[in-house]
Amino acid sequence: MWRVTIKGLLAHKLRLGLTALAIVLGVMFIAGTFVLTDTLNNTFQTLFGNIYQKIDFQVRGVAEFGSGGNATRNPIPESILPTVRAVPGVAAAQGSVEGYAQFIGHDGKAISTGGAPTLGLSFDPNAQISELRIVNGTAPTTPHDVVMDLGTAQKYDFKVGDQVRILLSGPTQTFTITGLARFGTADNLAGATLAAFDIPTAQRLMGEVGQFDFIDVVASQGANKATVQRDIAQSLPRGVEVVTGQTVVNEETSAISQALGFFSTALLVFGFIALFVGAFTILNTFSIIVGQRTKELALLRIVGASRRQVFRSVLGEAAIVGLVSSLIGLGLGVLAAIGLEALLKGFGITLPSGPIVFEARTVIVCLVVGVGVTVVSAISPARRAVRIAPVAAVSEQQVEYDISMRRRFTWGAVITLLGVLSLTVGLTEPAIQLVGLGALLIFVGVARLAPAVARPMSSVIGRPLARLLGTSGKLGRENSMRSPRRTAQTASALMVGLALVSVIAVFGASVSRSTTSSIDNAIAADLIVSNSNNNGPGAFSTTVPKAVSSVPGVTASTVVYAGQFEFKQSIENLKAVSTYHLSKTLILNMASGSAGSLAAGDLLIDTTTANSNHLTVGDRVPVKFALTGNSTMRVGGIFQTNSLIGSYLISDAFYVSHVQNPQPGAVLLTTDGSPSVEQAVNRALAPYPNVQVQSRAQFEEAEASQVNQLLGLVYALLALAVLIALIGIVNTLMLSVFERTHEIGLLRAVGMKRRQIRAMIRSESVILAVFGAVIGIVVGTALGIALVSSLHSQGITDTVVPGSSLVIFLILAALLGLVAAGWPARRAARLDVLAAIAAE
Amino acid sequence: MALTDQEITNQREATPAAHAIDLRKTYGMGQATVNALDGVNVTFERGRFTAVMGPSGSGKSTLMHCMAGLDRPTSGQTFVGDLDIGHLDDAALTQMRRDRIGFVFQSFNLVPTLTAGENITLPADLAGRKVDQDWFDYLVKQLGIGDRLHHRPSEMSGGQQQRCACARALINRPDLVFADEPTGNLDSISTTEMLSFLKQSVTELGQSIVMVTHDPRGASYADRVVFLADGNVVDELEQPTADSVLERVRTLGS
Repeated sequence: MWRVTIKGLLAHKLRLGLTALAIVLGVMFIAGTFVLTDTLNNTFQTLFGNIYQKIDFQVRGVAEFGSGGNATRNPIPESILPTVRAVPGVAAAQGSVEGYAQFIGHDGKAISTGGAPTLGLSFDPNAQISELRIVNGTAPTTPHDVVMDLGTAQKYDFKVGDQVRILLSGPTQTFTITGLARFGTADNLAGATLAAFDIPTAQRLMGEVGQFDFIDVVASQGANKATVQRDIAQSLPRGVEVVTGQTVVNEETSAISQALGFFSTALLVFGFIALFVGAFTILNTFSIIVGQRTKELALLRIVGASRRQVFRSVLGEAAIVGLVSSLIGLGLGVLAAIGLEALLKGFGITLPSGPIVFEARTVIVCLVVGVGVTVVSAISPARRAVRIAPVAAVSEQQVEYDISMRRRFTWGAVITLLGVLSLTVGLTEPAIQLVGLGALLIFVGVARLAPAVARPMSSVIGRPLARLLGTSGKLGRENSMRSPRRTAQTASALMVGLALVSVIAVFGASVSRSTTSSIDNAIAADLIVSNSNNNGPGAFSTTVPKAVSSVPGVTASTVVYAGQFEFKQSIENLKAVSTYHLSKTLILNMASGSAGSLAAGDLLIDTTTANSNHLTVGDRVPVKFALTGNSTMRVGGIFQTNSLIGSYLISDAFYVSHVQNPQPGAVLLTTDGSPSVEQAVNRALAPYPNVQVQSRAQFEEAEASQVNQLLGLVYALLALAVLIALIGIVNTLMLSVFERTHEIGLLRAVGMKRRQIRAMIRSESVILAVFGAVIGIVVGTALGIALVSSLHSQGITDTVVPGSSLVIFLILAALLGLVAAGWPARRAARLDVLAAIAAE
Repeated sequence: MALTDQEITNQREATPAAHAIDLRKTYGMGQATVNALDGVNVTFERGRFTAVMGPSGSGKSTLMHCMAGLDRPTSGQTFVGDLDIGHLDDAALTQMRRDRIGFVFQSFNLVPTLTAGENITLPADLAGRKVDQDWFDYLVKQLGIGDRLHHRPSEMSGGQQQRCACARALINRPDLVFADEPTGNLDSISTTEMLSFLKQSVTELGQSIVMVTHDPRGASYADRVVFLADGNVVDELEQPTADSVLERVRTLGS
């Protein structure tokens, strides 16, 4: 039986080749994601390992909130350094500060990294401790000296002796580059830019005079490290801890792994979506193959193949196809990893480079998933193959399998309902797994129900084609109506693809509109000053607010800070605003209490938070700020939820006194209305190339374009699924042409031109594509609306169905259908008339 | 390989190769009901070559399908040897076909992706049995397809394909071979060769063969002819000749 399976495979290379392509693409994507994230993980791990290579211990502030690499810690007093140095067994110890410092390039623009930090730090000349090595020039010694990382210097053309302006948390300053440095053997720190100052300068610039962020310690050779660590710990004041260098490496690495984990999960989701769509294509191909091999399978049954052997043969065929394509996909995955990196780079997300990592897990997951999806998809066709009666080989009558149609619809309805149920629970809970499961079930259910509407819908969609193209269009329409089940199965893959695209379209349009309306509902100011680097820290110099608010024509200004605090034991984002001109720049729709209570040091919360925590004006709530520790705050007012403002609001005075080194995130300006004010503000911002000023309309546009950028990325990732759906259509059409060789020959014999044959196949393809697209768009729009309305309390207040986008999708689907028909149509037109008629 | 006359006689006296009792097969429901088999009683003796004749729609093929376990009768009993195949489930039925019955069809029905040799050994392969190489060689030699073993069916003539199908039918040494119009798609030379081989395998190997045919000349190769009409056995003829069969067909037709 194996011989039959393998020979069958070899004989049908073409039709299986297209099926395999669906798996190859999906597996390739998954493999690529794994390789990419593993590589990045490894890069960072190596990086942190190198940085802390020589460091035995680190003395630092305890985590005020958060933990590990993500913790918020306070600086420690400088005076601890001599204490630590005095501990027996300590060979060397050096205090460091770290903070924000961003170079300005020769072109006057801020040098941004696209995600990696722009670090300012103190330079430690002690080679025993630091991995930062001067490769050219000398160490910084005066308040005007800076050492730049070699990578940045090379990329932006800086040399030793050059002057460079640096953006800081205070005013922008000019420094002289005294040296260029590298980290161990790396030219820079995973894409970060480094500005190293001498210790007192760094302390001053980072706002930590007399303080360190941490002290790195090297133990003497032969010293008992546990004893040394214990002795250091005993010498430290409250709120300061000592940990091993390895702990720090592990913390940093796991923080990065966690971040990469989200990233890789997001990418894997798209990989699985692609395979899910691929599953429909496989199911369809195998159904058709089984249909075409009815006689052969029946013959095998006659000469003694058992049902089990036939079943295994079909599944075995699927397993081999799955295995081969998974292996190819795996190989291409490495290329995909490089491709993904390029794609992300195109969207402005830069990642550090490192050697490619190819783990056993990648191989196992890809093979299991690739083979699994193929085999599972082939189960239903295999079961149909088993039901073929042996007589089918010898009797002329066509055996019909319509008996199961009613059962099929019942099941389809049940699955769809289960999906809707799961989705509803998932959205209200909220539980993302249930949402995913629900969507999956709905797709499967709808795909099973689709044959019910395939005939009438194909008829409607095909009518204009029939009118336009005459006989060819009419025949194409009839062909698409001939087997509703096949039409529906083929269209299913495209249905899923377009449903997802539509969900994203509805979601994106709603988010976009909600952002705009939340800006309109929150900001009364005419101009908004903010950091121009969307991927950066988002904060800027403390001197900016003064510079812009003193511009003539500015009538009111409000400084906005964004930070974190602990609210009832959970870490939350909060915003702080200056209260003086608040009513002229910010719109706070108070549900109760007053905005004026901010000035008294009260906390304002939004209605959503108030409702979920059962809080009313006058209640006191436990809060914690990193610098000042636990306290309570009075709820001074409750305002209508607005996603731009966020859930928690305090005064700037309170914020500045409770947070280490506060930096503003935005300034809202109200002007006298003269158009020259914006230019004047721009001039005032000249020393701060990382800061921009926007009118409210520009700000809204920028926010919307950020949403659109993300949508672009998602569309690009979904394109893979649509591509696979398209392969499915090509495959089905090829098989149909093959199956109808005789019929096409007959049409040619009675006078149909090649052009007309092509038009016929194309019509069929367009009908298939539009059918799938219509169902997909309907299902997707419904899912999108459900999703958006469940996120109402999360700030997506407006539900928008982007009609024009959906129409464009439909037209695109029709065009894609046309493209998919290209090859099958040519092949059909090229059939030799005589041979086609002679073919059985 | 050939058996002695005595052995053949012994076999013939044992249980028949297959027989049917009151076999009925109806298709359709209500007014559209068709009685393809209307209470057929028939016995196919062991070691004999039986031809089944009858006009189109007389139930020849249905009788064969039911008796070979390809199709289930509406009522009545069918035996292969002394095995009542009416009670077998699909797996047992499959095994019975594989091990005890050989098939030759009008349209050859070879697996197009396999070579001639692979097609011949297919039943043995399916059973997971080792092919009896001597038996294989003997069949291939007798049928004269030794030089065709590595060819695909599409590369062979109709006669060669049918001989290949014959070898496949015999490879498992079945109790009974059903041949459904085996010469229907062959030219006259191939037809003669095919019929001679079937006859020879009965006389020399003691094979039991049932052949459904339209052709009186074909039927004349058989030891016995069973005539079917409207789903019933209407007549029989022992040791037929082409003329006597033709004569009988003519009387039945009137």
